[in-house]
Amino acid sequence: MICCYLTGILPRTKELIEATRAYDRGRVNEKELEKAFENATLKVIDTQLSTEFSYITDGMLKWQDLFRPFTENLSGVRIGGLARWFNNNTFYRKPIIVGDIRRKKSIIEEITYIKYLPKNSLWKAILPAPYTFAQLSENQFYTDKIELMFKYAKILREEIEGLARLGFKYVQLSDPALVYKPIATSMASDELSLIGEALKVAVKGIIIKTCLQTFFGDFSKILPEALDFPVDHLGIDLYETNFEKLKEYSFEKGVALGLVDSRGSLVENEDELVTVAKEIMESIDSSKACEVFICPNCDLEFLPWKRAEEKTKVISGAAKRLKEEFL
Amino acid sequence: MNKLFPTQEIGSLAKPRWRVKGYRGKPLSKEEITEAVDWGRKLGIEDLDELIKLLSETDSGDRKRAILEWSAKYAIRFFESAGLDVVFAGEQWRSEMYEHVIRKTTGFKFLGRVKCFDYRYFNKAACIDKPKYVGSLYLDEFLFAKENTEKELKVPFTGPYTLVDWTFNEFYEKRLSGEFRNFKKRKLEAKREFLFDLIKEVIRPEISKLVDVGAKWIQIDEPAATTNSTDEEMELFVESFNETVKGFNCTFSLHNCYSNYKVLAKHACKLRNCSQLALEFANRDSRQAGIGDPRTGYKEIELFEDYGFRGNYGLGVIDVHTNSVEPPELVRDRILHVVKMIGDPSRIYVSTDCGLRTRTWETSFQKLENMVLGSELAKRALK
Repeated sequence: MICCYLTGILPRTKELIEATRAYDRGRVNEKELEKAFENATLKVIDTQLSTEFSYITDGMLKWQDLFRPFTENLSGVRIGGLARWFNNNTFYRKPIIVGDIRRKKSIIEEITYIKYLPKNSLWKAILPAPYTFAQLSENQFYTDKIELMFKYAKILREEIEGLARLGFKYVQLSDPALVYKPIATSMASDELSLIGEALKVAVKGIIIKTCLQTFFGDFSKILPEALDFPVDHLGIDLYETNFEKLKEYSFEKGVALGLVDSRGSLVENEDELVTVAKEIMESIDSSKACEVFICPNCDLEFLPWKRAEEKTKVISGAAKRLKEEFL
Repeated sequence: MNKLFPTQEIGSLAKPRWRVKGYRGKPLSKEEITEAVDWGRKLGIEDLDELIKLLSETDSGDRKRAILEWSAKYAIRFFESAGLDVVFAGEQWRSEMYEHVIRKTTGFKFLGRVKCFDYRYFNKAACIDKPKYVGSLYLDEFLFAKENTEKELKVPFTGPYTLVDWTFNEFYEKRLSGEFRNFKKRKLEAKREFLFDLIKEVIRPEISKLVDVGAKWIQIDEPAATTNSTDEEMELFVESFNETVKGFNCTFSLHNCYSNYKVLAKHACKLRNCSQLALEFANRDSRQAGIGDPRTGYKEIELFEDYGFRGNYGLGVIDVHTNSVEPPELVRDRILHVVKMIGDPSRIYVSTDCGLRTRTWETSFQKLENMVLGSELAKRALK
């Protein structure tokens, strides 16, 4: 089955950007800002519906960074200073772990526009994966980052179970730190199996679909271990991954092919994406892989909304053509 | 420079309200005009009546230019009055380090704002054609500064690697789209082509003009230098710096800030014709006085030394992101600590971490005065 969806935070629309800037300057009040967020959310949901995406997100327009709802809502976590978000000219606020982390209430329910997600569509939620959360936090409390990773994985499970009860059908765990290794050559196998254990804590036996989305780095570096991770799908950033390397493995999981570049504004050529996708699908033995998703390589928030919108059309177009060919 | 511990600011200074509003042709309040007059008096600026008259006039092309000149003059006097040895125009002439260059060059189109963090954004351009030099970037600013000071001048110059890293690369990626199946390789190759075209077509012609009219020292600002810390990208950065400065009869230095110095240190000794690395350390350091243990922020100097960098350091001793003013004794201890580490005091230029554009003029002035006092104290301590 070939589907398509988005993989992260969407860019704010021009109108919303103006509203947030005006809010910062005291020229717009909370109510007006909220209205601007609602309008933009409706717009980005509508774009996903009109391009017939398989799963719908609310666009995560309020998320200041991938961790922020966790940094703000978990007890034991304090909000830290700005740090660079991998190799981007974008920054996040470091979660500082100052005590035992606890989930007192749903972490993302409040920040998510559930009321605007259409009842007859499949809802997707996106959360930070255990390894990335632990790596990018400043740990002042636990013995080491491994302990933090497992503590967080437990909290993540509670959150995912809560989301399933709210009606979400799909959860993506974003895990850029797992593959972003500009200096180290590759990860040790036992470290990868520990990460697999933490993922088990988070998602094993969860009734909704799960995906571990990697980006900003070469997915082939975590093979073959990643094939045993307890998730339904694995997400691959094809702008960082040497896809010739993927061909050496047989996948028994679904894959999310990050074929559209969220960090470049050039709108992709649909023909080329279809060709590359076909080649990968055939080589990794995707007859066994029950599902293939065509998606952006990471959060589209690195682009202005207009370009992101054009790219969603390319994603949907490529997915449609592949569906026809693989029927 | 013959003097021990020469002092310098990195580049930018906040733009006063009369500069911002005046340039845009907006009316100024009495308070804003008073602010201009008060600082003018403090800095010993002559003919203030002319400025007041100008600020009350309606908008015109001449007025814009005149306001740039006044604000540049203020900035030069500001640095001189604080006692700096090396000065410039506080980047009053520029809208911002990125937009200033992109808007003055053809081949680019601004696509709109993208998120930087929280509710902060930056206006990002795409390269849509081969970049072309159509007019000078910094020449007028330099000529004006040269006319208006006797001090040594340093021209801050936004580096090509940063310009490329902060710009979408549509033109070159499109051009290579048929040639590479490997998307990663394609992007890197497109980046390389963009970078070296920009250097050849825009950056070097501008440097050439500056050198022709007497620029002796150009500081290449590359905040993005270590954003992509793979060896491959770092080598590209080094190559771009070397190509930028190649063959000019001029002194060059590199400013890089809020970056990964472990990565930069490894590659810094390969930078050719780079007389100085201006780096930030103060913001990483403790505020406790003393040499040795309290100087936690300066430990990475050791890496630069170990990897064989033997040029000068523009040593950041003033944190530009705090309002608290460093006492001269703290500045002194930071300098003396590094003297002890590298053994040669003549390799130190005393600097702010970065440009002071986010601080008020009051705070900036106090910080610079104390930086100068601290350098004097360090000199005395060595005698």
